Amino acid sequence: MTATTDPRQFTGKSQLRTEDARLLSGHAQFLDDITVPRMTEAAVLRSPLAHARIVSIDVSEAKALPGVHDVITGADLAAVAGEQPVIWRPIPDQRIPTMYALAVDTVRWVGQGVAAVVADTRYIAEDALELIDIDYEPLPVVADLDDALAPDAPRIYEDWPDNVTGSLTITQGDAGPAFTAADVVVSGSFRHHPSYGCPIETRGCIADFDPYADRLSMWTTTQSPNLARELLAQVLGLDVSKVRVRTPDLGGGFGMKFDFYPEDVIAALLSKRIGRPVKLLEDRRESFFASSRSRDMRHDFEMALTSDGTITGLRGTAYGVMGGAFGTVGSGPPWASILTSMGPYRIPNLELTIKPVLTNRSPYGSYRGWGVPKGNLVHERLIELAARELGVDRMDIRRKNFPAPEEFPFFSGAAFSYDSGRYADCLDLCLQAVADAAWEDRKAAAAAEGRSLGIGYGFHVEPGAYGPSRILNLVGLDHSGFDEVCVRMDSSGKVTVFSGQINMGQGTHTVYAQLAADGLGVPMEDITVVTGDTDSCPYTGYGTGGSRALPLGGAAIINATGRLRAKLIRIAASMLEANPEDIEIDSGRFFVAGTASQGVTTAEIGRAAYRNLNGLLPEEETPTLEEVDVFDPPNMTTSYGCTALLVEVDRETGQVDLLDCIQAHDAGVIVNPMLADGQLAGGLAQAFGGGLYEEFVYDEDAQMRTASFMDFLLPTASEIPPFTFVHQETPAPDIPGGMKGLGEAGTIAGVSLVGSAIDDALRDLGVAVDEFPVTPPRLLALIEAAQEGASSGADKEGTR
Amino acid sequence: MSTRTTVRLTVNGRAYESDCEPRLTLADFLRRNCGLTGTHLGCEHGVCGACTVLIDGASARACLTLAVQVDGVEITTVEGLAPPGELNTLQQCFREHHGLQCGFCTPGVLMCATELLKENPNPTAAEVRRGISGNLCRCTGYDAIVRSVLAAAEAAHENSQESVS
Ligand code: FES
Ligand code: FES
Repeated sequence: MTATTDPRQFTGKSQLRTEDARLLSGHAQFLDDITVPRMTEAAVLRSPLAHARIVSIDVSEAKALPGVHDVITGADLAAVAGEQPVIWRPIPDQRIPTMYALAVDTVRWVGQGVAAVVADTRYIAEDALELIDIDYEPLPVVADLDDALAPDAPRIYEDWPDNVTGSLTITQGDAGPAFTAADVVVSGSFRHHPSYGCPIETRGCIADFDPYADRLSMWTTTQSPNLARELLAQVLGLDVSKVRVRTPDLGGGFGMKFDFYPEDVIAALLSKRIGRPVKLLEDRRESFFASSRSRDMRHDFEMALTSDGTITGLRGTAYGVMGGAFGTVGSGPPWASILTSMGPYRIPNLELTIKPVLTNRSPYGSYRGWGVPKGNLVHERLIELAARELGVDRMDIRRKNFPAPEEFPFFSGAAFSYDSGRYADCLDLCLQAVADAAWEDRKAAAAAEGRSLGIGYGFHVEPGAYGPSRILNLVGLDHSGFDEVCVRMDSSGKVTVFSGQINMGQGTHTVYAQLAADGLGVPMEDITVVTGDTDSCPYTGYGTGGSRALPLGGAAIINATGRLRAKLIRIAASMLEANPEDIEIDSGRFFVAGTASQGVTTAEIGRAAYRNLNGLLPEEETPTLEEVDVFDPPNMTTSYGCTALLVEVDRETGQVDLLDCIQAHDAGVIVNPMLADGQLAGGLAQAFGGGLYEEFVYDEDAQMRTASFMDFLLPTASEIPPFTFVHQETPAPDIPGGMKGLGEAGTIAGVSLVGSAIDDALRDLGVAVDEFPVTPPRLLALIEAAQEGASSGADKEGTR
Repeated sequence: MSTRTTVRLTVNGRAYESDCEPRLTLADFLRRNCGLTGTHLGCEHGVCGACTVLIDGASARACLTLAVQVDGVEITTVEGLAPPGELNTLQQCFREHHGLQCGFCTPGVLMCATELLKENPNPTAAEVRRGISGNLCRCTGYDAIVRSVLAAAEAAHENSQESVS
């Protein structure tokens, strides 16, 4: 019997983070903290117009400015570099509008890069940008979705028949008859306006091209170092081995830093041209144009039900408001929104269409949630409208349509097979927590004072652990989904875990150390985790996105440490002249059961495996103590949650105050409860920002009106409510360790939740929120329309 | 542009002297001329609070301050909160209560909270929220930051009681 003391010494407990001390003391190393010898600094000149032909560019004055090393234009760049890759192509026969890292003849959004300067300092580089003379010939602008779809719309690409890139319809069952036979049909047009991930650290890179070795070395703020390495090689025509990508500490990523951006290519080429390292960092204002725009979609959907509240069908068209060219993930997020538009419900008949449409906005890209927040808007807004229409309880109707635990794995009807779930239990857990917090009493007390409190609910599913590699290829991803880990014990018996995932605030190093320590039976402080360098770290498919780091990296660590532990036991048994079956482990000591005071330590085993093999390491064992594991998941994970939000609505001003928030959540096995709650809270705060405040506002010329923190409003501590989390643990059946991805839960759950809470506060008016963010003017307009509707006796809002 | 001025400052108790252009911000002076990269830049337009430092004990945005404006003053940055290898009570409480994730906003939040606790050693949760409302954090959702600051206040209170008794 290979007995051990508690095999889960660290897993499942709130361990303090190994990352924190450096971050708290100013000793972290973010991109802009890095200076390399002979480094120069670059800046990008960006288009002031949303759509224009570049007639001429004169860079001579800029080049002549003292301190300037070089200026590059789009034509220079396109002569030596390829186009920016689009790795997600899920829509067959779609027109894919690609771009070079700098615009060549035509600019298609405000802020598109047209030239770049490299100088001794950023200050000088910015001075030089002002000396570049560009002559633009303005072209007609497509500012918004409706403009883009209008029959006489200007075309963003002259040789295209219109601005629609393509269309894909996913069907299951037969929606037509289901809708004909339905007792009730509810419908809505749900608009989520554009926003972005907005980490407080902007993006940046340092490119260092060695002209003698023909090798590019990059520091870059990416969540996907292996992908960045391959795409850099692809665009620059280098062998993959000639590119090294390192990631420093990341000041937040949120998907936005997953994508592969033009600036990495620009900096690499500038470095190659001048033979010196080049730092290129976007400033906050630039980030609004140069970092992926997200969320921008409209969903025109309807749901069919029988009179007892059983959902029989869901159909509709989703419009992705794409930019003037595609970013790295193309129309992947809008596509994912329709794949998840049925949410946690069993809906036998589906007809789901996605139409990505071009506008003169910046490229659409990744942001935590990746389309699923809008899928959630569809099913959660519609099910609440259905409850209202049928006069049934909004939680009962949800419960009625959940698949039962024994129906898992449950095929959603569109691509995903949910791995495991106890949805009704989770819903009850949430309701119980809300009852314990006595929100209904608060609501009633407020009502007695003439104040409008509302309780919102939402149920969400989060596809995580993206994903089985071959299936990802099949659905249109030009990349893989596996994760590789190397676990190495050194000659002193200490352990290093090498991973291709990166650390951006979610505590990857801490949870990996927990899992590795438990896997090997050693103390957590014996573990060092190394990430963020393609020269020394293993390969991860995709990157740190898609809620992959814990379920996939964690599974690989569990597998690798399991094999390494077996080897350690064999060596220890040989050293102790015992049977491996009789060896026990306690905190790095290996001993024969019952003789804990004797035994050998990992330090002694390490010495035997690396330095003093003779007489200590069994002949049949390979020297060194190292295991590599590649984990390609057989299925994704689907975590889920039921969330409740208490708000107060001021009917006079349209202002919404967030008072309290409770989430019941199931992400399978939780490795570090404190960090799990941190992920949930942070995601919810972002969703509340998207639900109430954050918006890229464009005028009719597609000029952005909100390109600063004065106008683009991130929520502060004054807006965000306190959080309470309760967990249930239904293990992921396909993941060793049973963990499910949870990093995107909050962003998926939180936007529809805001709508639900506002509706509840205004229940007497029959308001149905369908446009986000719900700014005060938007809410006032809804309130006024509802009041007018009520006084004229018109039909209830929301069943258009 | 090219006229350079000499700026002399005391940062975390140590004297620094450096030539710079008048347009150099205090944040860049600290980061580039003093090698103190713990002060971060999240917006460079005075909203996010990541660049918050203490100037003669009062919090200020280093991105909106020019180095030449503060010639001769005493500055405290995050590097000055504790000696290398150590964390002070406030920092320790942030660690224990998960008051940081990516850590990019954290130096500014710590400097702001340092001033807050000095002025109001026993704040309520609402006062902490108001006090840090000039610091944007994109990771934590703030609740854990609030709990961290309250815990620091509590710990300071306990310490002072111990030293009295
Ligand atoms: S960088 Fe100074 S306030 Fe944002
Ligand atoms: S911890 Fe990342 S921004 Fe605050």
